[in-house]
Amino acid sequence: MKLEIQREQLLKPLQNVVNVVERRQTLPVLANVLLEMHDNAFTLTATDLEVELVTRASVITSDSGEVTLPARKLFDILRNLPEEAAIQLGFDGERAVLKSGRSRFTLATLPAADFPTLDEIPFDLELSLPQRTLKTLIEKTQFAMAQQDVRYYLNGLLLDCVDGELRAVATDGHRLAYACAAVTAAAAAQVIVPRKGVQELARLLADSDEPAQVRIGTNHIQVVIGDIRFTSKLIDGKFPDYQRVIPREGRRVVLADRLVLRTALTRTAILSNEKYRGVRLQLDNWLLRVQAHNPEQEEAEEEVEVNYSGDGLEIGFNVAYLLDALGALDGELVKLSFNDANSSCLLQNPDSEDCRYVIMPMRL
Amino acid sequence: MKDKEQRKIIHVDMDAFYAAVEQRDDPRLRGRPVIVGGPPASRGVVATASYEARRFGVHSAMPSAQAYRLCPHAVFVKPRFEVYRAVSQHIRAVLGRYSELIEPLSLDEAYLDVSISTACRGSATLIARDIKQAIRAATGLVASAGVSYNKFLAKLASDLDKPDGLAVITPAQGPDFVAALPVGRFHGIGRATERRLLALGIATGADLRARSRDELVGHFGKAGAWYHQLARGIDERPVEPDRARKSLGAETTFATDLDDPAEMLGQLRALAAEVATDLARRGLRGRTLTVKVRYADFESVTRSLSFAEPTATYADLEPRLAVLLARTEAGPRRVRLLGVTVSGFETAGRGQGLQLVLF
Repeated sequence: MKLEIQREQLLKPLQNVVNVVERRQTLPVLANVLLEMHDNAFTLTATDLEVELVTRASVITSDSGEVTLPARKLFDILRNLPEEAAIQLGFDGERAVLKSGRSRFTLATLPAADFPTLDEIPFDLELSLPQRTLKTLIEKTQFAMAQQDVRYYLNGLLLDCVDGELRAVATDGHRLAYACAAVTAAAAAQVIVPRKGVQELARLLADSDEPAQVRIGTNHIQVVIGDIRFTSKLIDGKFPDYQRVIPREGRRVVLADRLVLRTALTRTAILSNEKYRGVRLQLDNWLLRVQAHNPEQEEAEEEVEVNYSGDGLEIGFNVAYLLDALGALDGELVKLSFNDANSSCLLQNPDSEDCRYVIMPMRL
Repeated sequence: MKDKEQRKIIHVDMDAFYAAVEQRDDPRLRGRPVIVGGPPASRGVVATASYEARRFGVHSAMPSAQAYRLCPHAVFVKPRFEVYRAVSQHIRAVLGRYSELIEPLSLDEAYLDVSISTACRGSATLIARDIKQAIRAATGLVASAGVSYNKFLAKLASDLDKPDGLAVITPAQGPDFVAALPVGRFHGIGRATERRLLALGIATGADLRARSRDELVGHFGKAGAWYHQLARGIDERPVEPDRARKSLGAETTFATDLDDPAEMLGQLRALAAEVATDLARRGLRGRTLTVKVRYADFESVTRSLSFAEPTATYADLEPRLAVLLARTEAGPRRVRLLGVTVSGFETAGRGQGLQLVLF
């Protein structure tokens, strides 16, 4: 088997899959990428046994065969060769020899038969949506996913396909992020995509109207994006009932300039307790006061003009949660809706219900 | 003694806890022998072995090197106590739904007194089954439970059909169960006492029961009276919730007094390692480290220092031992006892703001 190819023709597809290769593996073959050649095409496959990425590219060759190569080493070599360099990849027993100009690399290979690939997966639901839409759903919510939480079903993103909408929901138990978009789907489905798969998927999606084909099965989700096929295992668990957690509009509804509030909170956060990040919000007529102090007894106070008249309220929050939500929202204004100091706060764009953020307060 | 209301005690014990958490979090480890503890090439020990590894004779507290010889294809995993502590808190939250009277023994073990619990119409067996299901739902992990009328028998019961076990020892079964039990399995009987009992011709609970209280007290002092009770299936120890432990330490007295500071430091390191393991097992982190020195003339001194952040790790404790020892007169004065204690345990969230939760 032999492959003669230009650097970019191999580097680009490899770049699309190499991220999924873990730096430390339990099986040696997982450090490798599977290269399969057929008539005038090749595919590259990388996996960490949870997420599998396959990409396909055309090349002029009549050879066929398959082998696995050390993924990161191959990637680093290609990356550091000059642009548009001509590359020759040949195989000699258990070694692969990569030649380009006056460079020559001998790489160890492992048999393709040892490489774990997914079998044919049955899918129950298929839908197509613009890549931009799916990318937005993920970007508006993924920051709220839990990380290594013992409630393992929180370490991922819920995709809920229901009522002509695709909804993405993430929560770590302290705050929740919700985003939805209209889609056409033949059936309903609710699945949890693990954290790593979510991050990988967000990276692969482009900000374009080109379609992403989403297929959902019992144990897997697959997304086809152009020449790339992404498949991830699903988290088997019951996601909390997010509808119950998202409050209706509260008793105190505040309109604020989103960026003004965000920058005021960013400055206040500097003097909040580094570990607990608590800030105190004092709501009065036409005024929101933000205060923080730290164990060194340093203090910050900011006043933000807001559109509100009604009862006063004093409530504490982890400032990082507020900043995450304000950063993910768009629009000039933000609508904050409170009930009391022990109930959650709802943040959203006053003109749209598509993105909603729920944050539980802190008792300060 | 007055007639007492029959108690209902449940002992909940997580199956191969640390290893089970690792297998839960890393699907690649499922179905494979997993050993949580020091790496095989180190002088570390096994903290927990998965059931797959136990089949090869690996058990906790065994040196990792020996475990490696028994089961070379096992996956050795470094313990993640932070995660175990967090899982343990979730388990404790689950237990809290069934009783106020919970006595945690370690991260993976607790007693509950459900005598007055109204859950499951008061059936302790049904409560135990419920608890197992609730723990699995909340954490994805498997627990064994033992139900009986005191702590001694509840603990023995939880061991009866591990893993995923649920066993009951009723008041009617208790005496027969104890009669058949080898003395080594009795609460408070370690290897040394077991040897002494065997030398006296006492091998089982029935043998123990045949001896008079006075004879047992004659041989074993106060402990003898305790064995006399246990042999009858009697254990009145209450389930003590929230043992508010203030410090945790270990000390050792030497057969001959020490005068070499290097040797003293070696002893302190061994004690600190023991304390660190204990702290981790109980999920505690402390701010203050104390070294205790008793000189040959029985005068004792202590030297302490505090950490900026609460800790429980040997790596944090170890470098401070030499500093504290140097602040005593150990060396010029001979030493008969050394101790290491950690105190000032953190209390969650104090004064820092309590984050409320969505669900």
